[in-house]
Amino acid sequence: MNIEQQYMQKVRKQRIQWFVFIVVLLALTVWAAIGTNFNLFVLFSGLSEGFSFLFHDLLPPSPATLPSLLDAALDTICMSFVAMILGSIIAAVIAMFTAVTTTPFPRLRYFFRAATALLRNIPVLIWALILVSGFGLGNLVGTLSLLIVSIGMLVRCFAEALEEIDRGQLEALKATGASHLQMITSAVLPQFMPSFIGWSLFNLEINIRASTIVGMVGGGGLGFMIQSGIKLFQYKQVSMAIILVIVIVLATEWLTGRVRERLI
Amino acid sequence: MGKLKLYFSACLVVFVLCLLQLQFDYSKLWSGLFKLGNTISLMLPPDASQWQYVLSAAIESVQVAIIGTVLAIVCSFFLSFLAASNITPHPALSWAIRGICSLLRSIPTLIWVLIFIVAVGLGPLPGVLAIMIGAIGSLIKVFAQSIEEVDEGVIEALRATGSSWLGIVIQGVLPCALTALLAWCVMRFEGDLAESTILGTVGAGGIGYELSHAMRGYRYDQALFVGIVIFVMVFSVELVANRLKLKMAKRL
Repeated sequence: MNIEQQYMQKVRKQRIQWFVFIVVLLALTVWAAIGTNFNLFVLFSGLSEGFSFLFHDLLPPSPATLPSLLDAALDTICMSFVAMILGSIIAAVIAMFTAVTTTPFPRLRYFFRAATALLRNIPVLIWALILVSGFGLGNLVGTLSLLIVSIGMLVRCFAEALEEIDRGQLEALKATGASHLQMITSAVLPQFMPSFIGWSLFNLEINIRASTIVGMVGGGGLGFMIQSGIKLFQYKQVSMAIILVIVIVLATEWLTGRVRERLI
Repeated sequence: MGKLKLYFSACLVVFVLCLLQLQFDYSKLWSGLFKLGNTISLMLPPDASQWQYVLSAAIESVQVAIIGTVLAIVCSFFLSFLAASNITPHPALSWAIRGICSLLRSIPTLIWVLIFIVAVGLGPLPGVLAIMIGAIGSLIKVFAQSIEEVDEGVIEALRATGSSWLGIVIQGVLPCALTALLAWCVMRFEGDLAESTILGTVGAGGIGYELSHAMRGYRYDQALFVGIVIFVMVFSVELVANRLKLKMAKRL
């Protein structure tokens, strides 16, 4: 078989793979559309109803509600920040145990991996629902559930970063007879610092978004104001709160971007 | 190192200020842990007796995620070519699309759901719409990024041959960016499935409703079962997605 034929065969195989992929995707979509009674007519009527509600009932926001919302907005920011700081410190320690390059007990790695996968794969809202049963409503629940999910996410990212560090430096230090702790402080930490800061800033952005969600099931902050505002038909207050959410999210993105530029 | 020290000390100051603002009741921390332990003991063993309802709700969540993501992919696919700065027909158009996207993106999906529930009523529809809107916001951003990473030489070469805009997109940009776009779609579906499982807790359909229903009725054992199902759903999609991503990386 000459090269041309081989090439044509490969192209044909790729085409068949693509075809199967697209057919499966289409079949899944149709199955899902039938299951949820969904069609394009429903889509457009739903969207138009949604946006007419948005522009007629929600907008314009009432600035009079702003003072009462500012405290909740500040809570939202503080919850995310506290969860980010505590989360990145705890996660950095756990990540040291999970990464192949730095773990002092290689056998325990899988235990830590599995435990943090559990933290990460249960959505933050569900953590909040569970924690509410223990700690009651309020900021504490919001902060704790953000903390749990932050740890879950950051351990994965930190461990990946730790596994990418240059092993040559570790080996060199080991050869001089450095202890495990000395190796971590003088070889691992300096290399790890940029990704530590980068990922924890990214975590802050995620926390800010998540904190408005957590509030809806009793975690305090802006989410709580939005949820209760909708229940009480205070739509002008809701739109004001949503605008605050947008401002906070965009401001955080801007700020973390600036910090990243300066530090990394 | 001076910059780092400044950053960390600023973090510490803000951290303390935040704790002052939040005014936690630290005594609650311990009593809460005991109460939580109590709740957890009520959760065991998980009660699977309602499995038919949970299963059908889980399927509904998956379906909502699929439709929302597919619709978003279709919309973002076309719009992202207009938004990518290297091939956009007009810079103002690119700027406008990006602005709208970051607005859509900065409102969490759960808030979109609340809005759509009030507008169109309960059921799977508000979930689909909310996921679609949220996914469009983030997909256009990452699609446009991938398109902008396409080698400028490819575009210029096609432009030099007198190719039309559509020609450049189909012959030059698409083949280069396709794998990256697919990878983003897989990642988005992962996120959307996780989101669709919780939409029910605020009143849209799906498995989240079963969860908040069980929690409100203090049936913690049933709630744990639903929680396990959610974990299995999200985790298995993460596994499949990781495998797909590896496969795609090999292709490159």
